[in-house]
Amino acid sequence: MSVRNALLGLLAQRPRHGYDLRAAFQAVVGGEENWDVKPAQVYTTLARLEESGLVQEEGIDQGSGPEKRIYAITPAGRTELRAWLTSSIERYDQRDEFFLKLMLALSTGEADPSKVIQTQRTALYQELHAITAQRQRADPKTELAQILLLDKAVMHLEADLRWLDMIESRLDEVKRQPLPEPEAKPRGRPKKIAD
Amino acid sequence: MSLVQTENLTKVYGKGDTAVTALDHVNLTVNPGEFVAVMGPSGCGKSTLLHLIGGLDRATEGRVLLGGHDLSRLDDVKLTELRRRQIGFVFQFYNLIPVLDAVENVALPLVLDGVKQNTARAKATAWLQKMGLGDRLANRPDHLSGGQQQRVAIARALVAEPALVLADEPTGNLDTRAGDEIASLLRQIADDWGRAILMVTHDPRIAAYADRIIFLKDGRVVDETRLSGNGTDETKRVMAKMEAI
Repeated sequence: MSVRNALLGLLAQRPRHGYDLRAAFQAVVGGEENWDVKPAQVYTTLARLEESGLVQEEGIDQGSGPEKRIYAITPAGRTELRAWLTSSIERYDQRDEFFLKLMLALSTGEADPSKVIQTQRTALYQELHAITAQRQRADPKTELAQILLLDKAVMHLEADLRWLDMIESRLDEVKRQPLPEPEAKPRGRPKKIAD
Repeated sequence: MSLVQTENLTKVYGKGDTAVTALDHVNLTVNPGEFVAVMGPSGCGKSTLLHLIGGLDRATEGRVLLGGHDLSRLDDVKLTELRRRQIGFVFQFYNLIPVLDAVENVALPLVLDGVKQNTARAKATAWLQKMGLGDRLANRPDHLSGGQQQRVAIARALVAEPALVLADEPTGNLDTRAGDEIASLLRQIADDWGRAILMVTHDPRIAAYADRIIFLKDGRVVDETRLSGNGTDETKRVMAKMEAI
C-alpha cells in the first residue's frame, strides 16, 4: 500500500507523468538500492488509482520522444493521502533469517553456532563501515534527509550487533534448553466419539 | 613493514594461585596509516594490550616491536623518549592539565622534550587549528565541551608527529554526536596524515570507522575482521601519502 500512497503524495506536490513519478520516488527513498520500484509497478498503480478516482489524467507532455500522460491528484485522492499520512505504519515483523540459521545450526549440528554468529558479525560490521563512510561524505547542509535515513541504518546495525553479542554471551545456556517445537496436536480428522 | 608487531604478548598479574592472565600470547600487527579497533567485553585485556604497546607497562612474556625496536630491550629512559616521540596517547577522560590553556596543553610534550617554547607553541597552535579549535586556543579545559577537550587531547597526541596513536575508549565519555565527530577525526588522521591508530572501544558504531577490528576475549584474539579495502593497496596508498608529506 505504501508505494500507492507515496505516489499519491508525489502527485499532491504537483502533476507528473509516470517516468517522473518513478524518479521522484527513488529520490525520496534514498535510491534504488534502498527501495526499487519497477516502471511497470508505477504504471499499473497509476491505472488503479485512476480507476478509483484518486488521480486523473490532466494532459499530455509532448516533449521530445514519446508522448507522456500527465496525472494529477483529485480531491478524493487528497482525502486518502491525508488518512495515510496521519495513521501509524504497521509494526516490523519478527522474520529474521539469521535467527533461523542459528536455530538450525544449533539443532542439526551442521555448523558451529559460534561461527555462524562470527560470520554474521563480520558482514554487519562491513555494512556499518560502508554506511558510516557514506554518511561522512554526505553534506549536512544540503543532504540532511539522506543523513537521517543513513542514521536509521546505522542504529539498526548497531542494535543487530549488540543483539549478536547478547546471543553469544548466552549461547551455552541456549544450547542446554530444548529448541522451540510445534505443540503436539492430534493428526487427521477429529475422531468421532462413539455414542 | 608493520609499524607495530606483537609476538606472543602475554601479561600475567600476580603470582601463584592468585595469578591472573590479562593477555595470553597475542600476535597482531598494525600497518603504517592503518586504523585498527580493538573490541571485547570488559576485562578481556583491551587496555592491558594498549598499555604494553604504548610502553606504559612491561610484558611478562613475548614482545612488542615498534618500528622495528623491541620495547622490552629499552631501559626506562629510552622507553620514555620513544614514547614521547613515536606514540601519541588519547584517553577516555582526556587527561588534560586543568591549569593550562589549550595551546599549553598541546605544547607540553614538545616542551618536555626540550623544544623551545616559541616553536612548541607555534606547532601546538597549528595542530589545534587543524582540529577546528582555532578560536579556542586560550581556553582552559573547564571552558571547553567534552568533544572539544578530546580534540585538544588529539592535537596533543599528534604534536610530536608520532607514527602511532593509541586511543583508549576515546568516545567513552561523549554523547553520540560528539563521539561521531571524534571517530571521524581519527579516521581523518589515518587518511590525511598517514598515522596509524590503535583504538580500544566497546561501541560498535565507533569501531565501524576503523579499517580492521580485532576481537579479544579472555586475553586472546578470537576474531579479526577487515572492514575496508585490500590491505596491501591501503598500505601502498598510505606510504605514498607519507612520502609526500
